[in-house]
Amino acid sequence: MTITDKEAAQKRTAMLADLRKERREKVEHAQSLLKGQQAVRKTLSRVMQGEPRSIPEIAAATNLPPHEVLWHITAMKKYGEVVEDGMDEDFAFYLYRLAKEPIHE
Amino acid sequence: MTNTLKIDALVVGGGIAGMQASLDLADQGYQVALVEKNPSVGGMMAGLSKVFPTLDCCSCITTPKMSAVAHHANISLMTYSEVQSVMGNEGDYQVRVMKKPRYVIEDECSGCRSCEMVCPLDLPDYDNEYGRGAHRVIYVPFSTAVPQKALIDIDNCIYCGKCLKACTTNAIDFAQQPEYVNIETTSIVLATGYKTTPYDAKKEYGGGRLRNVVHGMMVERLLAPTGAYGRQLRPSDGRQPDNIAYVQCAGSRDLTLGVDYCSRVCCMYAIKQAMLLAGALPMADITIYYMDIRAFGKGYEQFYENAKAMGIQFVKGKVARITEDENQNPILRVELIDQNSRVVERKHDLAVLSVGMLPGFDPNSMYGVPVDKDGFIKAPNPNISPTLTMREGIFATGTATGPMDIVDSIITAGAVAAEAAAYIQSHNGHRQLVAEQTERSVTHA
Amino acid sequence: MPEKDESQAKPREEPRIGVYVCNCGGNIGNVVACDNVARVLGKLPNVVTSHSHMFMCSDPGQNLIIDDIKEKGVNRVVIGACSLFLHEQTFRSAVERAGLNPYLYYHVGLREQVSWVHHDNPKEATDKATRMMMGGIAKARYMRPLEPVRLDAGKHALVIGGGVAGLRSALDIARRGLQVTLIEKSHYLGGHMAQWERVFPTHQKARVLLKELIERVLAEPNITIHTGAQVVRTQGYVGNFQIKIRQEPRGVHGAFPNEQEAVAVCPIKQRREFDYGLSTRKAIYRAYNGCVPESLVIDWENCTKCGECVKVAPEGMINLNEEAREFDLKVGAVVLATGFKPYEPLYGEMGWKEFPEVITLAQLHRLLDDEGPSDGKFYWNGHPVRDVAIIHCVGSRQIEGVHRPQPDGNVNNYCSRVCCTASMSMAALIRQKAPDAKVYDIYEDIRTYGRGHEDYYRNAGKEQVTFLRYFAEEIPEVMRADESADRPLLVKVKDHLTWGETIELPVDLVVLATGMMPNPVDDLIGMFKVSPGNDRFLLEVHPKLRPVETAVNGIVLAGTAQGPMNIQESCAAAGAAASKVAALLIQGEVELEPFVAVVDPERCNGSGKCIEHCPQEEALTLETFTENGRTFQRAVVTPANCNGCGVCAGVCPNRAIDVAGWRLDEFEAMVEAITDEIPAMEGAI
Repeated sequence: MTITDKEAAQKRTAMLADLRKERREKVEHAQSLLKGQQAVRKTLSRVMQGEPRSIPEIAAATNLPPHEVLWHITAMKKYGEVVEDGMDEDFAFYLYRLAKEPIHE
Repeated sequence: MTNTLKIDALVVGGGIAGMQASLDLADQGYQVALVEKNPSVGGMMAGLSKVFPTLDCCSCITTPKMSAVAHHANISLMTYSEVQSVMGNEGDYQVRVMKKPRYVIEDECSGCRSCEMVCPLDLPDYDNEYGRGAHRVIYVPFSTAVPQKALIDIDNCIYCGKCLKACTTNAIDFAQQPEYVNIETTSIVLATGYKTTPYDAKKEYGGGRLRNVVHGMMVERLLAPTGAYGRQLRPSDGRQPDNIAYVQCAGSRDLTLGVDYCSRVCCMYAIKQAMLLAGALPMADITIYYMDIRAFGKGYEQFYENAKAMGIQFVKGKVARITEDENQNPILRVELIDQNSRVVERKHDLAVLSVGMLPGFDPNSMYGVPVDKDGFIKAPNPNISPTLTMREGIFATGTATGPMDIVDSIITAGAVAAEAAAYIQSHNGHRQLVAEQTERSVTHA
Repeated sequence: MPEKDESQAKPREEPRIGVYVCNCGGNIGNVVACDNVARVLGKLPNVVTSHSHMFMCSDPGQNLIIDDIKEKGVNRVVIGACSLFLHEQTFRSAVERAGLNPYLYYHVGLREQVSWVHHDNPKEATDKATRMMMGGIAKARYMRPLEPVRLDAGKHALVIGGGVAGLRSALDIARRGLQVTLIEKSHYLGGHMAQWERVFPTHQKARVLLKELIERVLAEPNITIHTGAQVVRTQGYVGNFQIKIRQEPRGVHGAFPNEQEAVAVCPIKQRREFDYGLSTRKAIYRAYNGCVPESLVIDWENCTKCGECVKVAPEGMINLNEEAREFDLKVGAVVLATGFKPYEPLYGEMGWKEFPEVITLAQLHRLLDDEGPSDGKFYWNGHPVRDVAIIHCVGSRQIEGVHRPQPDGNVNNYCSRVCCTASMSMAALIRQKAPDAKVYDIYEDIRTYGRGHEDYYRNAGKEQVTFLRYFAEEIPEVMRADESADRPLLVKVKDHLTWGETIELPVDLVVLATGMMPNPVDDLIGMFKVSPGNDRFLLEVHPKLRPVETAVNGIVLAGTAQGPMNIQESCAAAGAAASKVAALLIQGEVELEPFVAVVDPERCNGSGKCIEHCPQEEALTLETFTENGRTFQRAVVTPANCNGCGVCAGVCPNRAIDVAGWRLDEFEAMVEAITDEIPAMEGAI
């Protein structure tokens, strides 16, 4: 990192801090959203370590409502953190697992 | 910062009708500005899967037009922009347009989505996926969006700065302010479109609380290759449905909702979706509960016959109520009119409300253009001049003038271009052409 | 050694080919393994980049091509996607935006020609797609930049048909500043609209509305109108059509005071077409009062030239020896607004012609018209009509094997779109005119879809119209009632609104809500080389991408020539047609494809073989040149008249003539490549 880059980075950090201060209420709300989301994702990642699993299976393992699990899996799939991997025996549900390494679409 | 633009026609709304009207005017040599409130052009059509009666992939129809309006030499495209005020008189309107801040400099952004990949927070995508999918706080609206430029949902940003670091073109600008453009125009074309009848309005149908009661537009996303799930899954638990019900006239021809008209498209899109679902889920049973099947357009009746031949069940009956069982399967209470008017309860695992169309916008206060009792723009001479409004120099097209399908929207867009072109022509004093021969004659040998 | 021509003058640049395989949102990608195809093709010589993409036609897809041209120096583009009818223009303009000649792009149809026809065999389909792309790539190595043929275009359009769609499109084209000639086959303007009693959804008198439109058209200085006129011959191409018009004589010139007398003395009595035969007219007649042009007209087919009318009329007013005239027009574009004809039921179809008390919806309009044959009184045979049954979908929504085919073997399997609302509006009008009449409406589905149309349906219910629903397979029967009955007809319907019971309705009159059929325009179809669809209405290129254009450049459609439409829809379509015509002609110049014959001047020895075999008029001529004191003959191409068929290339003994864009070397390379080995792919997924 060159000196100027460093300066720019410092400037950027200061600007972001100012913005956070200025728009505190909204930032706090977003931060709480992020916190909640990170907690859920952590749980999901934990239960999805092994074999591919269906939405109801993941829901049962995490105690989260299935529709919420579906939303998170959908989001994680979009951003390459989760991949679809086959179907269950009854061909009713798709199975999902963590991506080996996150791939971008 | 304020710019001034002098043009022949301002087109408001970048859905299929607005895009087509812009292209048809621009192709005639007129200067056009197209203003779209969303970050991408394309409108409702951009979210559809395949289209009736040809079953063309919808993107194959829309995306080239989206691209064309962005690149046409005679069109100034303004996305994420809204008309603020309209002043002036017939033939000489002054319009102020606000370009809303994307917090991303459009000219710098390459649409590479590096910012989106590093952004830490996912938000439900209400605009494109009806809440089923997600986008990040900084995001490109959808994969075929035009322009392919990111924007920031500023109210949900925590200013972590990851996007700033990821962006290779320094396109992110948290301090961006609205920009204003003053437009002087001879004519205005309103292509402000429709919104769907609210699917949660009818408490007999669960009032939006039943997870496996969805609406037609959501099913489009289940069927589109770019849809959030990329699959046909029901929202409660991700199961592939195998017994799907369509509830026709859910929000149209329904006096209790104050919508007394037919929305024209719902029969056909339900039939189309049923066919596509039958193709994707060969084991699924699909039933369409209807009052009248209105397959009136060119090739539509044949389409309907094909659906019947594929085994789609058509049942004449009004769905009175929808409840759900313990597995969130919708239970429909239906009067089977063709079967001695028996009232039965039928279990399905997904119910689709074929929602209709409501006007997207009331232009009266901004444009001085009154609407009719149905809320759509009033036409002083609907038969002969379907694109005129009550105000001279302001024209209307597409679903702003009443429910219609894509084919009819595109046709009225051509018609509005002709009407507006004639108006511009007379106002600009025939500056482009001098009639070679002005002698009028009706010959009858 | 490759042939020599002007493009060989400077050394050819090394081909750097960009290859793009479109998924078409699954249309192709669900069958053809597009990623694999792209990867394999990437190994071919000269291919510098190869991609697959969900939607090549979208902006991101187009940008991919543009970036490759700009950044990777791609100078030939091969795209495998949908049909080139859909998106050739899209990709040409993208290639052009990147600064490359648009004809250095080649389109391979992977949807219609591969994925849609081989959806049951993905492996073979992928193989075929690869080979077709290999052919395209081989051609790309030989492609040369081309320039479209630019020609002056007449700022003049011909509108065929003087009904509401023709009038409306003529008006829109003229208001844009172009010249318009409007021809109408009959001797008055307005078409079927003049025959309607009133129009929905405004409930206005149809002829009042029509009159306003006609007056606007007459007031437009750029429009010339010929009635009694038809096209007899056409020639040329977009921008430069030469059209021969034949105008039948009218026989009567202008109005005169004792017209009534002249009509009265005519001994001939004919069925009045305007009233669909509900009244009669003479052989000298006026279609209806207030029609435009207003003067009387002679019915030449039935006039015996007895001269009685001539005797009463002022001198020179009537000329029974008038001849037809023919004249030529040069126009840049043609609007086909040839309209519809009402479906004519078959003898005995629901009692048609079998019982005089069975009429069509179009006749009902005349019957309820204040200026109609019964002065608007709801009378039949001199008696007030009490009870009436309207039967929907007569001649529409027909099913093969259920409905009797027409004499030509066809059934109309389409919905005619207008009859439901028209029936509802007429039902209410009947109740107004005859408040005690019982109206039975016998339908399959009520399709009051348009803005304000549902109000008519609801209103009919309020007016106590009784609805009965039949299934297409159970056609209602119309029969003669017993002598003793006080209603002449009996309609038997299996009604699915009342438990599938068969109901017998005694009525005075049965109205068949007959649908629309295209006007017979086989002559125009032949002359302009446009196509009808399965429904026999004229066919558009694509209902959404090019909804009013035919496959012939410069020929557009307006109104019910294309399919059933109501007045509003016809006017909208007419406007859309006018927009297309204006965009085409306003520049005064049109561009034609450059795929025309080119002569290699060094090889041509003036054998004249090509001219002998050329099927096009004036596309090839033998001209005499003098160079360096030597005089010789050589073939010369007139690009505007050449359709690029390539017959000349086949017959030339010296390989001196070829078709630009489709040269023999390109074909040879393609054939070779298509039959070649597909490169092996390592690490295939």
